[in-house]
Amino acid sequence: MRNRVREQRAQRGLSQAELAAALGVSRQTVISIENGRYLPSLPLAFTIARFFDLTVDKMFDPDDEEAGK
Amino acid sequence: MMRSIPRRLRKPVAIMVAGVLFAAAWLVRGGPLWWVSIMTVVVTAVRAYSWYRMSGTDTDEAALAGSRADERQQLVSLKSRALACNVAAIAAFIGLTAAVALNAAWWWPFAAMLVVTGFGYLFGLSSYGTGESDADSPAYYASPPVRR
Repeated sequence: MRNRVREQRAQRGLSQAELAAALGVSRQTVISIENGRYLPSLPLAFTIARFFDLTVDKMFDPDDEEAGK
Repeated sequence: MMRSIPRRLRKPVAIMVAGVLFAAAWLVRGGPLWWVSIMTVVVTAVRAYSWYRMSGTDTDEAALAGSRADERQQLVSLKSRALACNVAAIAAFIGLTAAVALNAAWWWPFAAMLVVTGFGYLFGLSSYGTGESDADSPAYYASPPVRR
């Protein structure tokens, strides 16, 4: 599953540590989500989407199966 | 009780409690090797302190050691514990099989480990939701609540 976390974070000029602090997760978890190695839980997915003022389906693209593997 | 302890101190405190309990057991056992209990407390204190120091760093292991793991780190920990349980069960099975083959008297600790892991797994299944009733199933409607 592809996501736009890295792209959105870069647009806002945030570091991974700053985003992690804002989301209440670790920096390592932000890295894992950006690299597609970890699929966040539904509550965290909503938190991420709201943080970037996007909907969950705009933030996470289920059609790109390969990116999440 | 653990909630009243600061997060970063929880694991070191648990390590200290386990070490002191083992040292007390060794002391109660008696004999000329009583000094091992003192060594156990010293080694445990060093380990608890190093655990505390390590929990201040910025790694997944430190987050788990400092009881501040997020959902991914908790999942990693859960998978690791499940793997450890599987390995323990396999080791217990191998030990039990070897004890039976050798007609040894030390078969029962392995059998106890297998029983505990088996019942632990069943307890986990019943605790974490596989027994939830399905509201749409006929069985659900066949068993109305008893009104008194």
